[in-house]
Amino acid sequence: MAKKTRQGKITIDRDLCKACYLCISVCPNQLISISKKLNQKGYYPAEFHKGTHGGENRRCTGCATCATVCPDIAIEVYRE
Amino acid sequence: MRGSHVIAEAATRAGCRFYAGYPITPQNELTEYMAGAMSRLEDGTFIQAESELAAINMVIGASMAGARAMTSSSSPGISLKQEGISYLAAQELPAVIVNTMRGGPGLGNIAPSQGDYFQATRGGGHGDYRTIVLAPASGQELADLTRKAFEYADDYRTPVIILGDGMMGQMMEPVEMEEPIDLRKLPPKPWILDGAAKRPSRLIRSLLLDTSVEEEHNWKLFRKYESITREISRAETYQTADAHLVVVAYGTASRIAKGAIKKVREMGLKVGLFRPITLWPFPKGALLEWSRRVRDFLVFEMSTGQMVEDVKLALEGRSNVHFYGRPGGIVSTPDEIAKEINSLYHRQHLEED
Repeated sequence: MAKKTRQGKITIDRDLCKACYLCISVCPNQLISISKKLNQKGYYPAEFHKGTHGGENRRCTGCATCATVCPDIAIEVYRE
Repeated sequence: MRGSHVIAEAATRAGCRFYAGYPITPQNELTEYMAGAMSRLEDGTFIQAESELAAINMVIGASMAGARAMTSSSSPGISLKQEGISYLAAQELPAVIVNTMRGGPGLGNIAPSQGDYFQATRGGGHGDYRTIVLAPASGQELADLTRKAFEYADDYRTPVIILGDGMMGQMMEPVEMEEPIDLRKLPPKPWILDGAAKRPSRLIRSLLLDTSVEEEHNWKLFRKYESITREISRAETYQTADAHLVVVAYGTASRIAKGAIKKVREMGLKVGLFRPITLWPFPKGALLEWSRRVRDFLVFEMSTGQMVEDVKLALEGRSNVHFYGRPGGIVSTPDEIAKEINSLYHRQHLEED
């Protein structure tokens, strides 16, 4: 029987993000990348990829490391 | 606190009662904070000017009237303010100008850069003048140097530039603020234009058509700059006691360099850091002193190489000066600098010293 893994998701407030990309550097599953669209401040904010990313079956576990390191409190974490 | 907010709060506590600015990323938070801070004060004035030119000229006026005045901008905006800064210097008016450097030239981008070193330290505007340039490298230093900036400006009656960058302006760090000063306890300014009732009228001007008068004024400014050079040069050193190689960096670059030095020290490389806190006057004395035992210096800047010239001048050709830099808003990682230090160290055979 497959072990049930914890699932989660995050939302990133585009306009609070100042593009330091600390979240990208800490995400254990590399589910955050740089957006191609500028935000209101003129930065390319971090962007979350729902579900799988990069062809592998990587999912957000809701570990909240990204939200912990975010200096601008732009990330909210939801756990299922 | 966010870097921009730190400067604004520290300025308010240092007695800044006039702020004029025009928005530009990455320092908008400073202007925003000042709007709140000045409006909460009974005697504070905040003006969002119609342009950078207007802002700096408003600062000239406020300074003439005796207020501790400040304006802030980022690289392209500071270029526009240069004319006003030259006038401040000529008329011997105190003012604090914050430059949150971004990528350039031209409009460039809004990422952290250190490309305005020449503009800040060489004068920037026209004429034979200098400005004091302070380069903070942490949240706490943003607060401390902002207070110092107002003190230097008043003491020497000269404009002072706080040279940060996009990283300094945006990063968040814990800061301990000093208590607000009591404006009434500041020494009186016997030169301000505050209404000539019951006293002879005064005049502040920079138009000196008589060449001998202008010459005398220039020598007067020069003597002032000489005493500033003697009195306020400051620098921080880190792990330099046994260093075979000294990295020279300021502001954000110095923090990256410090991280890199920690890494290479673990590998047994004897590397130290020299961080100028005052970029003008440049702390030449300490560097020259070291040239007797340190053969190699590595200058690291977030530009194609500007401070490296001052380092060479300070060392008077006695040591080798190497350079590493990334312009355009690229922020190097400590790993990248550690790699550079490592290869230079072995290229120069410093492990044999």
